[in-house]
Amino acid sequence: MNLKCVIVEDLQVAADYLAKCCEKSGQIDVEAHFPNVQEALVYLNQHSVDLLFLDVEMPGATGFELLDQLAYFPKVVLTTSKSEYAYDAFEYNVTDFLKKPFTYQRFLESLQKLTAPSTENNISSTATDHIFIKSDGKLVRLNNDDILYIESMGDYVKFVTGDKKYVTHNTIKNLEEKVNKSCFIKVHRSYIINFTKIDDIRENDLFIKGNEIPISKAHRSEVMKRLNII
Amino acid sequence: MNQPTLPKHFIFNEKINGDYLFSLYADDYPYIEEVFSVTLQHFDQDIAFIEAAYASGSVADLKKGVHKVKPAFGFVGLTDIQQQCGDFEDACLQASETEELKSGYKNLMASLEEGKMIIAAEFRKLKDFNSNPV
Repeated sequence: MNLKCVIVEDLQVAADYLAKCCEKSGQIDVEAHFPNVQEALVYLNQHSVDLLFLDVEMPGATGFELLDQLAYFPKVVLTTSKSEYAYDAFEYNVTDFLKKPFTYQRFLESLQKLTAPSTENNISSTATDHIFIKSDGKLVRLNNDDILYIESMGDYVKFVTGDKKYVTHNTIKNLEEKVNKSCFIKVHRSYIINFTKIDDIRENDLFIKGNEIPISKAHRSEVMKRLNII
Repeated sequence: MNQPTLPKHFIFNEKINGDYLFSLYADDYPYIEEVFSVTLQHFDQDIAFIEAAYASGSVADLKKGVHKVKPAFGFVGLTDIQQQCGDFEDACLQASETEELKSGYKNLMASLEEGKMIIAAEFRKLKDFNSNPV
């Protein structure tokens, strides 16, 4: 099945070229093109897509600001030439950079990365009361009740318990589907928390054992629904 | 300079990097014509943004405007101007006010204007070529 994509790009000739590459590949359907973040957000909040080709610097908000406001996290390929965005790209878990203009061959390499089988298989169980993670060359059992929260570190995640931290190769997006949803909830693109461990919530942050964790606008309403407010 | 190494029917202006264009579009001349056409359509508006940014003294907007047109020159094979835009962007990062960029700005605008003329001329040639391919 083809990937459904949206192009967010203010340079028309670049957007056209990208659309042509998608069409030529036969593997990507371009659902829409927007020249700025504002228009893209309206569409993306009503339509789910698999992939975003995203320019960073555009009139108004940046591409990263779009990702901040999205309620879900599709695969992202940045179409920019700036290495200064590398750190942000890492934080946002983007799949690839395409430096404009790029050749069709380079586009195909990006496509390969997008369609490569996921290597995010470091969670070996989705049992209701525990999970196993690969850490330091061994499988470690973590009881759900011991996990305070899970934090994204790019291609890695950190499991934080009361007394230890475990880093493993995985993503928040992948974990979101695998953890027990009765205990865990995603509160930010970079955080899944154990709902039973929340000590308090202050405006846009929650606190677990002294750790301050942001709640994104996109996830706030879901978090508030789960609270037992009396 | 930089003319395509593979045989072509169309000869680009010597300032256009033909090899580079070939790497992007091969010999899809109708599409190349479209690329030149679309670039021209948006050219004046993008240049006006740069001029307004300079006039208003906003280094950030100036950088943003130049950043936008930079790849546009790449798409039409004017890689030297693309590079010049990149250098100017770097200069913007070092500048706190547009006055510091005065000399580079004048040179850049002259190049952009020359670039526009080349693009317009190539577009006309491509249009003729595509309607009467030899």
